[in-house]
Amino acid sequence: MSTSVGRSVGESWRALRTPLLITGFVVLAAIVVLIATSARTSGQFSPDSTESTGARALAALLEDHNVDVHGTESLNDAVQAGGGSTLLIGPGGSLDDGDWRRIAQAQWSHIILIRPGSRALEALAPGVRPTGNSLATRSRQPGCELPAAVKAGTVTVNGPTYSAPEGATTCYGDGINNTVVRLEVGDRLVDVIGTPGSFMNARLADDGNAALALNLLGTHQDLTWYLPQWESDYPDSDGESSAQLIPPDVRYIAWALAFAVLVVAIWRGRRLGPVVAERLPVIVHAAETTEGRARLYRRSRARDRAASALRESALGQLHEAHGIPRRADPSAVVATVAARTGRDPAMLYELLYGLPPLTDAALMSLSQELDVLTQEVRHP
Amino acid sequence: MVLTGRAGILAAAGVVFVALVMPSWAGVGVVVAAVLVVCLVDILLAGSPRRLQFSREGDNAVRLGEQAAVNLLITNPGRRVRGLLRDAWPPSAGVLDPPHKLDLPSGERRRLTTHLVPTRRGDRHAFRVTVRSIGPLGFAGRQGSHQVAWTLRALPPFKSRKHLPSRLARLRELDGRTALLVRGQGTEFDSLRDYVPGDDVRSIDWRATARRGNVVLRTWRPERDRQVVIVIDSGRLSAGRVGDAPRLDHAMDAALLLAALATRAGDRVSLLACDSAVRADVRRPAPEDVLPSFVNALANVEAELVQTDFRIVVSQVLERLGQRSLVVLLTGLDPAVIEESLLPVIGPLLRRHVVLLASVADPRLTELEAARGDLLDVYGAASAARTRLDRDRLTATLTRAGVTVVDEPPDHIAPALADTYLALKKAGRL
Repeated sequence: MSTSVGRSVGESWRALRTPLLITGFVVLAAIVVLIATSARTSGQFSPDSTESTGARALAALLEDHNVDVHGTESLNDAVQAGGGSTLLIGPGGSLDDGDWRRIAQAQWSHIILIRPGSRALEALAPGVRPTGNSLATRSRQPGCELPAAVKAGTVTVNGPTYSAPEGATTCYGDGINNTVVRLEVGDRLVDVIGTPGSFMNARLADDGNAALALNLLGTHQDLTWYLPQWESDYPDSDGESSAQLIPPDVRYIAWALAFAVLVVAIWRGRRLGPVVAERLPVIVHAAETTEGRARLYRRSRARDRAASALRESALGQLHEAHGIPRRADPSAVVATVAARTGRDPAMLYELLYGLPPLTDAALMSLSQELDVLTQEVRHP
Repeated sequence: MVLTGRAGILAAAGVVFVALVMPSWAGVGVVVAAVLVVCLVDILLAGSPRRLQFSREGDNAVRLGEQAAVNLLITNPGRRVRGLLRDAWPPSAGVLDPPHKLDLPSGERRRLTTHLVPTRRGDRHAFRVTVRSIGPLGFAGRQGSHQVAWTLRALPPFKSRKHLPSRLARLRELDGRTALLVRGQGTEFDSLRDYVPGDDVRSIDWRATARRGNVVLRTWRPERDRQVVIVIDSGRLSAGRVGDAPRLDHAMDAALLLAALATRAGDRVSLLACDSAVRADVRRPAPEDVLPSFVNALANVEAELVQTDFRIVVSQVLERLGQRSLVVLLTGLDPAVIEESLLPVIGPLLRRHVVLLASVADPRLTELEAARGDLLDVYGAASAARTRLDRDRLTATLTRAGVTVVDEPPDHIAPALADTYLALKKAGRL
């Protein structure tokens, strides 16, 4: 008699449920990770970096004051401005004149340049020139009318200084060498700041650093925090171009190959019926406990117990071989064995009834001597 | 649905086709469509595995280690079925054959034989019969499974039966069926016979001699129709592996030899396998039925990881025994277990019956005790010595209480138990 066995829809669903769930979870996790890491920036003055040279603390402060900080490392984000928003350009990077011009043409209403180079100044803050570099870190008074600086008060200053053209506001300097310069270019505010160190995580809490940073950066709701990179990222160096380098035929061959792989996978992957499961009985070595006890003896260095077991075992053999009664007292046993083997009774007493050995080597030699003694008894 | 290597080759040829002839989406589409159509046609033309009808015949039981054959009868009421057939059994059923090739024209019937050598005692149930039917083109096919019930029982191997002839010979000597020159072994009066020089003069029946005028000898024979109850402990003490099998299997072997011997000696043998519950129970089967019924009852007994309840053992044994009998307990000599749970309850048994406790000794302990090499060996030797001393002490305690103890390694336990039985019989203690 036979009955056909097949899977109903419900059974198939139950069998597939777990793999589907796991796959879904992995895909979801991958998407989440992609989204979470896509806005990530790293390195010096990065709004996501918690190192001492990062600026996560400042970004968090800004978020607390309802400023949306959008960190980016892509030039594309820096040239696509919305009106009424702020662009912060971090120190470093290797943008060329063209890049800077494109940033200047974007519709930013407020641009903050952190330790800019001369190219950046030329394009975004005409008239401002680097004048020097104050290597020493020191606190300075604002010494200007800029409300942001006046409210912040003393600030820790370190880094390049700039000269300002007519009509610009200069702060934290002597009028010629200034750390903060604000000027209006068209209807856009441009701040030049020479001291990135003051706004990094390590020193944001000093003096009025945090207040100055908030006042300068918090002018608008949206803040794009752009960190220029060391390679210029033109669109033509993007991933698309590498796809264009591959001849189109290869793509079709790849698809045909993928299909062939799928067919072969189905051919090889199909089993001739399911694996048969079986309930097996538990099997343990009978000597397992004895071996376990031996390891316990060694771990706890139970030389006394080991020695007494060996001695008792040897005595048992002696009793048997010499016909000594079980309950005979030690001196009688020693006397009998000494008489039979011709050994020194004192040594024999020490061997059979002595103190437990103090070292492992002593235990080893004790076991050997007991072996010799019982051997002698068996083959006199 | 199944695909074959030909489908894979067709798809691979498709790659070449796309590369050389039609490097376009259309080319990819042509290849995919061609493979799908060919496979679909083949699947539709393949005979249906579901419509096949199955039945089985063949061996129901086999001694462990021997080969069994189970036949599968397949009837095909539908289209021709060509392909593979797998008769799936659990791994320990020990299927020898690879999947069978099957070519079954419409309306015909075939017999396929599956050979099995079980690797473990107990019942093995056939799992499924899976048929893969490949279409006439050989590119794809269908697959389906059937449940075709069959149970193959792997019986205890009874390896110790090689010891049976020699023990039977000794039994015959005891019985007086061979010429006896010694005084009868046993206390039951058998018959009178003429004196032969060499006979023990103490056996001469003087009264009969006076009556007959020639010297007549009394012969004695051992008691017959005694009860023997073999109790196998299937608890955790029997789970430990000694050599290549659990203690339980060695115990079964010894029990079977004893049962065969005792049956020939004219005794009535019963069997009880017990841990926290009774697992097997055979009560006084007819003499010719002893071995088959024992072997069947023991086939599915496995060692359970529970403490054996000896109160059950004692009450079960007392319940089925009236007259003075022999109770053979096959268990392990574990001081903690025996002292705590057997000794307190064994009193009633000892008062009325002869109790024999047999245990399989572990040769590994002897090895451990003799090992001398590094420090762990010495500690191992000490530990093994401690175990043996504990066992010796337990044996002494049991012997003092009146229990006969047989403690032998796996190779010797069965003959040793048989010898002890013969010795008890010879001494007239039964």
